Amino acid sequence: MFTLTINGQAREVDVSADMPLLWVLRDHLNLVGTKYGCGVAQCGVCTVHVGGKPVRSCQLAVGDVGTRAVVTIEGVGATPNGARVQQAWIEAAVPQCGYCQAGQIMSATALLDGNPHPDDADIDAAMAGNLCRCGTYIRIRRAIKNAAAGGA
Amino acid sequence: MKKIVGIVVALIVVVALGAAGWMYLGRNPMAFAGGSTVALQDYQASSVTGVPAQLAKADLVTRGEYLTHAADCQACHSAPGSAPFTGGFALTTPFGTIYSTNITPDKQTGIGNYTDAQFLAVMHRGIRADGEHLYPAMPYASYTYMTDGDVLAIKVYLFTLAPQHAPARKDQLSWPFNHRSLLTLWDVVFNPDTRFRPNTGESPQWNRGAYLAETMGHCGECHTPRNIAFALDNHSKFAGAVTAGWRAYNITSDRDSGIGGWSDQDLYQYLSTGHANGHGGAAGPMGEASDDSLSYLVPNDVHALVTYLRSVPAEKSDLPRTVTAPAPASYKQGVVAGFDPRGEKIFAGACASCHDWTGVSPVTGYATLTGVRAVNDPNATNVAQAVIHGVNRQTDAGKIFMPAFGQGLSDDDIAAVANYVTARFGAKGAHLTSQDVANLRKQAPQQSNSRETPNG
Repeated sequence: MFTLTINGQAREVDVSADMPLLWVLRDHLNLVGTKYGCGVAQCGVCTVHVGGKPVRSCQLAVGDVGTRAVVTIEGVGATPNGARVQQAWIEAAVPQCGYCQAGQIMSATALLDGNPHPDDADIDAAMAGNLCRCGTYIRIRRAIKNAAAGGA
Repeated sequence: MKKIVGIVVALIVVVALGAAGWMYLGRNPMAFAGGSTVALQDYQASSVTGVPAQLAKADLVTRGEYLTHAADCQACHSAPGSAPFTGGFALTTPFGTIYSTNITPDKQTGIGNYTDAQFLAVMHRGIRADGEHLYPAMPYASYTYMTDGDVLAIKVYLFTLAPQHAPARKDQLSWPFNHRSLLTLWDVVFNPDTRFRPNTGESPQWNRGAYLAETMGHCGECHTPRNIAFALDNHSKFAGAVTAGWRAYNITSDRDSGIGGWSDQDLYQYLSTGHANGHGGAAGPMGEASDDSLSYLVPNDVHALVTYLRSVPAEKSDLPRTVTAPAPASYKQGVVAGFDPRGEKIFAGACASCHDWTGVSPVTGYATLTGVRAVNDPNATNVAQAVIHGVNRQTDAGKIFMPAFGQGLSDDDIAAVANYVTARFGAKGAHLTSQDVANLRKQAPQQSNSRETPNG
């Protein structure tokens, strides 16, 4: 039995310690906004925040979460940068098919949390692990800059 | 004139004899301890061979199973994708490729017809049932120290396995190494063909560790450099060597190059689980040694190994002191000028999400790069191999996984990212070229068994 703090709430789950956090979120807590992509931490769609850091939840065993707070796409809008990023995403109409976008928004928010005014190179370094098969990278970059500008 | 020729010939003979003597003297892996040894039956202190006390009353098969794990027969006698112990594993050497053989009790293709005497001959002297000599890729020069009882317990265990039909693959060796008769001479010089003799000047725990390390675990077969005749050179005992494309590190007590800076607890944790916090985890052949062999040892035996390893004299090698501080959190800092920027780009896309820019993984301690010997090796051998083959270990603590990038990244890419990783997280950046990576791929042709196994 594990007690996780997810989006500010304590949630209890009765799963084995080696179950990936992504499974816990989707199958046990019905938080299905976080998607499954490659399963080997190479595409970024399953990104959530753990202890404030963007982490690929398909590779993070629930037993390794410890006391670190987990924020998912369902809860990130409640944070100041998360709200700004989501607003910027809507204004720039970033998504095309949308499958990778939860992960993109989580990585973008973590970037702004650590670096309020990223330049292009900063954005590339932080976002390179989040793939988008539709190629929305140009709009992702613009939206991150708009969100940063909105944050002042 | 005749006199000069005579002197030159005499000199050559002296040098040759000296070199031969030097090599001969390097064959005893336990000589460094000095002191006097006694025959096993004259050693009173305690039992240092066989199974540990916990298993003393177990049946012969169980005892044989423990010893089979301790001798790590499985790692070499199993090929990826085939049943365990059926052989076919390619051992790459500078002379060509040797394939391990089927040691299940199949009568046609395995060892089903071996008598006890024949099995003892193969384990102690490297002579198989048909009288041919084995290549010392089979570590019989280490197993030769094993007691008859332990050898035969292993046989009993192997004979409980299901017989599998798996014919031997043909070795691919260049002339003259394809002539097994040459090994007669090698064996005379380099196989002591003698059983383990406890050292009375050392503790029973040390002697148990020596038996486990030298006889059963045959650590030196990878960790000790080889001489010109490809026999172990114990003058540089455990000072590290490259075997089958992976680097077996210096495990002497040197503080910088070896394991002198590790605590007993670190060593115990590494040997029993294949990972030690702050030092990283085993991958490649050591990952196999951990999962197939060392992880089965009882705690007392692991402690004995630690005691023994601690006693091996320090030998300084080319490995610098390990950097134990994390790299800066921003990709902009901690970069060494002059490195191919492609390495950073690949790291950002493929590596940073698990390994972090600091090297301290937010995902699992197994993925932390800070303090790991591999990233502090200026040759980046094992970094490149881990990138090519990934890591896919099943342990008691769960799965340890890193994807294999060998199919997805070019040799140039792998060189660039290995150079970047060693420069960012280690003591000294590597300068691998794509040709180096191509060679590393060739030397370890069979370890790409890290199939992509997505969760679910």
